[in-house]
Parts: sequence; structure tokens; C-alpha cells
Amino acid sequence: MEAELFIIRYLHVLSGIMWIGILWYFNFVQIPSMPKIPDEQKPAIGKVIAPEALFWFRWGAFFTVFFGLALAFRSGYLAEALMLEYANIGIGMWLGMIMAFNVWFIIWPAQKIALGMVDADAALKPKMARRAMLFSRTNTMLSIPMLASMISFQNPIM
Amino acid sequence: MGKILESLPLTIVAGVVLTVVMIFATEAINDSQMSAPEKAVSDVMNSM
Repeated sequence: MEAELFIIRYLHVLSGIMWIGILWYFNFVQIPSMPKIPDEQKPAIGKVIAPEALFWFRWGAFFTVFFGLALAFRSGYLAEALMLEYANIGIGMWLGMIMAFNVWFIIWPAQKIALGMVDADAALKPKMARRAMLFSRTNTMLSIPMLASMISFQNPIM
Repeated sequence: MGKILESLPLTIVAGVVLTVVMIFATEAINDSQMSAPEKAVSDVMNSM
């Protein structure tokens, strides 16, 4: 049981680093750098780097939530956390699930249009790029309390 | 909200503010779920 929980927690943390690491790469590095990149070099980002980063980003999000829920279930506190009886971890779990929903159902569909990975009206691309950016920023904002909540479950702040 | 999210520094500030709000909200939720004896013990522990 202890070994099983260790492995699930380890996979949860590994997936989380993959997810939040790429989220912060997008927000701290790629988005602010785009205006400084010459137009002829921008396809390297839009056609090569961003699609690859988005692949690891969305599956990182999926497996972070998957292993997180599995960890809570196997530890016996899943329902209590989701009902906020264990508010420390419960709030973080809800924030993480909202963020993963944003990744899969808002950011990823919008990015597919913005990056030209699916057929769409050209006029729609800037609108979808802005939507993806705003929800990516929303996730960056939520990642700060989410990570605090995750840590406070084992190291209470107050 | 859109103006805050367009700015990375403001996004970070908003995240820190949310964290502080969350810490107090968590404390309030935990307190509301404690029985009177548990609350008394918790208060003593916090004052040590």
C-alpha cells in the first residue's frame, strides 16, 4: 500500500511539473517573446514548438488530475476532499480540475484554430488566439493558490 | 478581469491575492466544521 501510494504520488508530481512547467513557459517566456520575434521566424513557434508543447501540456494536465484523484481515492479521502471536509486539499483539487477543464475544453480547441491545425475562418484566428491566451493566464493565476493548497495539506499554513 | 489577465505582473499579483483569500477561507471552513471541544483544542494549539 505504501509503495503504491508513493508511485501514484510520484507520477502525480511528475505530471504536474510537466503541466505547470509548460503553462509557465507559455506565460513567462513564449507569449511575452512573440512580439520580439521577426515575422519570418514566427512559423518556427506556431508550426513546430507550440504544437509539441501543447501535446505535453494537455496530457500533463490529464495525468496530473488522473493520478491526483487516484491518490485521494486510494488514500481514502477523495469524497471528503471534494465535499471540502478536508478544505486544504479540497480547494486545490477543485482549482486543479477547473484548470484541466480549461486546458482540454477551451485552450486546446482555441489553439487548434489559432495555430491553423484545423480548418477555420481566417478572421477567427486572432479571436481564438486571444481566448487561449486569456484562459492560459487564468490558469497561471489559479496555479498560485492551487499549489499553495496542495502543499498546505501536508504543511498547514495556519 | 481581461485587463488584469493581459498583464503578466497583474496576473501574478491576482494569484497571490487569491492565495491569501484561499488561506483564510480554508481556515474558516475548517473552523465551521469543528465541534466546540475540537475548536477549543485548536485554539489552544494555535496560541502555543
